[in-house]
Amino acid sequence: MKKYLLAGLSAAFVAVTVSGVSAQTKLSRNEIINSLQGAQQEVDVSADELQKAAFENIQKYPGANAPANLPLWDKLASLRQFNVEITFDLNSARIKPESYETVGLIADALHTPYLQGQTFFIVGHTDATGPRDYNLELSIKRAQSVREALVTTFQVPGEYLQAVGLGEEQLRDPAKPDSGINRRVQLINVGYR
Amino acid sequence: MRRMIFAFATGILLATAPAALAQTVGFAEAIKILSASCGKDIETYCKSATLANNGIGKCLDQNQAKVSQKCNADRAVVVTLIQERLAAQAAAPKICQRDAAQYCKGVKPGAGHVLRCLLKAQPSVGKKCNTAIDLAGYR
Repeated sequence: MKKYLLAGLSAAFVAVTVSGVSAQTKLSRNEIINSLQGAQQEVDVSADELQKAAFENIQKYPGANAPANLPLWDKLASLRQFNVEITFDLNSARIKPESYETVGLIADALHTPYLQGQTFFIVGHTDATGPRDYNLELSIKRAQSVREALVTTFQVPGEYLQAVGLGEEQLRDPAKPDSGINRRVQLINVGYR
Repeated sequence: MRRMIFAFATGILLATAPAALAQTVGFAEAIKILSASCGKDIETYCKSATLANNGIGKCLDQNQAKVSQKCNADRAVVVTLIQERLAAQAAAPKICQRDAAQYCKGVKPGAGHVLRCLLKAQPSVGKKCNTAIDLAGYR
């Protein structure tokens, strides 16, 4: 009887695995781990400071587009980090079911001993379409939404995850401000705190 | 076909009910089942619910009568799979404590150093610890 149940079990897993491979990109847990592990430097930037810098950037340099890098960005650019694409409903922080797997992969990575005990910024970015302050607020909500899902559904310890939204203030490709490549969730390992 | 899938799902629940587990799956594998089996129902009935705080689970519960049979069966499986992986990960360090002390004496804890050592020492490491590492998804 037990053998029979186990056969059913592995059959179910195989079916799930096979269907998943064809539907998804080949993003893997180990890819996330490899990009994020090995925090060396101490970074003296807090999530609050980074968030504040984004708001100040809009006040200081109003206009349709943000100027160059945020002042604090240089300190973060060299840290261990990884960009993922998570899809949300339009103008909303609701994660679409198609991206649940990606959030699960992040949870898989963060739950390994390689990354445990280190603090991560979860940074939300938009493209440059639409007003900057609107994008900033939306990206904050989306970063918080990803953090919440990780902390509640997948029980990643909340004390190690800090959500920050940067809207369109820190584009990935400033030459193409409206490109989808700018829409991303960035995980940054800010080390042991 | 539907009946067969349901049988598999029930099989998972029955097989994984005892404490001694045969296998666990990662969080991505588990939650992927929810997207696959409930994605349509979520987009139809739970347009304002979120993945956080079991929002999707609660919404599907409330709409249980309308939600597809497959979704109702599989979403319970997803919850179980996540719980099992969490339990396996919580248990692994304790189960491997002795092996770590024996085979990874000078290894500095943290950043996965001990796990890396245990993985390397796999042939010497005890069966219980090796199984615990498998179940935690740490290999």
